[in-house]
Amino acid sequence: MAALGTRVPLWFVFLVLFGFAVFQILMNPFGFSDMTQRYTQDISNLLITGPFVYGTAGHEQVSAAMIDEDTLHGLGMPWPWNYGAHARALDALLAYHPKAVVVDFLFVDSRPDPTLPQLVEEIQRYRKAGVPLYFEGGTELPYGEFPLRPELAKTGVPILDPTILVYDGVARQYPTTGSCFNQRPSANGTCDSLAVKVFKDVFPQYPVAPLNGLIELVWGTRTDATNAKWMHVTDQSGVHHSCNNDISFLRRIYLAFFDTSAVLAHCPYTGVIPVETLMRGADDADVTRLATNRVIFYGASLEGAQDKSYTPVNGLMPNVFVHAMALDNLVTFQGRPEQNVMTIWGYTISNNPAQIMAIVPVIFILSWIHTRRIRRKRARADHGGERSAAAEYFLDKTVETLWHYFAFALALGMGLLLALLVGLSTANWVEVVFVSVELAALLLLGATESVWGYVHHVAGGQPAAR
Amino acid sequence: MRHPVGSILVAWALLAATPALASTDDDCSSVSGDVVIAARTPQVDLYSDSGANQKALTLDQDKFPACAPIAGRAANMMLQVQVNGTKYWVEPHMVKYRFAGKLPAICRNLAMGSNQQTVGATRGLGEDCPKKGGPR
Repeated sequence: MAALGTRVPLWFVFLVLFGFAVFQILMNPFGFSDMTQRYTQDISNLLITGPFVYGTAGHEQVSAAMIDEDTLHGLGMPWPWNYGAHARALDALLAYHPKAVVVDFLFVDSRPDPTLPQLVEEIQRYRKAGVPLYFEGGTELPYGEFPLRPELAKTGVPILDPTILVYDGVARQYPTTGSCFNQRPSANGTCDSLAVKVFKDVFPQYPVAPLNGLIELVWGTRTDATNAKWMHVTDQSGVHHSCNNDISFLRRIYLAFFDTSAVLAHCPYTGVIPVETLMRGADDADVTRLATNRVIFYGASLEGAQDKSYTPVNGLMPNVFVHAMALDNLVTFQGRPEQNVMTIWGYTISNNPAQIMAIVPVIFILSWIHTRRIRRKRARADHGGERSAAAEYFLDKTVETLWHYFAFALALGMGLLLALLVGLSTANWVEVVFVSVELAALLLLGATESVWGYVHHVAGGQPAAR
Repeated sequence: MRHPVGSILVAWALLAATPALASTDDDCSSVSGDVVIAARTPQVDLYSDSGANQKALTLDQDKFPACAPIAGRAANMMLQVQVNGTKYWVEPHMVKYRFAGKLPAICRNLAMGSNQQTVGATRGLGEDCPKKGGPR
């Protein structure tokens, strides 16, 4: 059987490895593949792409104006605010001439409030000033409520879908389509999601690539410099720490090795304007910089408001930052964000077929090198050339190590090519790397020639005479 | 030859007849204490109450009086000024103002470890309680 195995043809080696790879990629046994892919993407975001690779173009264009518990206390204005209070905050924002404002509050319930006309008037002021203003609509309203209060909807203000996606409890992806509300659907009957719609309206200079899947969010990790001025972090012992998280690559790897939470960014990447600063109207160069000519998400971070999600790099954050990060990605990647699918020449390929296609050249190269090695070994044996046992042992161990690294590098190169050329995110190609290393191990164990030898033996094959 | 004192008197009379010129300087340095220097936004809303619930009127920027002393300050930052003999409350972001003292700094202390716990209750807002599927 061993002799039969040394004559294994290239096509058989290729087929066995291909079958193994396809099974692993498609079957996703016990969800392990998905889990490892997602975790790899999180780690890559936390240690590499977030701190050192992700650009800052989006960061200079997006801010958040936040109401929090200190705002309520400082202004003596308990929650919930009436419509007039929101009108005041929006008017304060308008004074800075922002590029656009997205209101991250749901005004669904028709509660009696005499200040409602103030918010209606404020919408008109935005229109008059030529500053786009967006509201959000309720999506899960089982009793037929309007997605936005009719008095506000009647103004014609654009109503966008605020849905965000949570994958295994973490905001890693962002939808590209959403409910239409009062927006006109595109030719295929869909409407853009919140961040995509705002991006298309406000940044028309960047044509948006076909978005046929989901946006895979790349989270920035460097705390905004202005945030670091007025925010601090308190640990469980009550000790204050700076929000500044600029640490070197090696130190980051070292800290994350023992505990990844040690390198989480506890303060937001997006520049934050505290709403009480807006309401004060005080001249503040930082507020002017964060508000003027930027898209501002007006939202809240309130205890018990439940509008929070975990992110791979921060922990629990108000969902307004998910929308802000999605828009940040769109701006930074100039309309070509990372996705979970790739679109080539008009054809959309999801991540499983994409990974199978990516691993084919890797399998071919590994199979070809492996069969050549078997041929050379057989030729040496046929012509009586034998090395010493010690030399053979060290040579085998060296080849084994190098072989694994070679397979790893080959697959990593394929994955990076996919990421750079077609914008496929890490989670959607990293399995190519894991599978390649498994295939290399299979080859080193001689699995393919063993199967060939067994099959031939069962079929009555005889090794060729010398 | 013209009388120089007469010229001076005429000039002074002209100055006094122009109230805006006579009483306004760029930072209202002639007015002590807290003062609203001028309007900042194209329109300034004036309210009857400090809670900004009842809007009384809206003035255009050029009609808003300059160097108006601040008669009161509410916890929500609203400023009370006198306009045409009536006291109103105005939003501070709509005006340029000067306070005699210093405003407190705005700082935040965020809790570390917020990825390990979350609030297990909903804020009691009555009909404003957040619903699933969207922010509020």
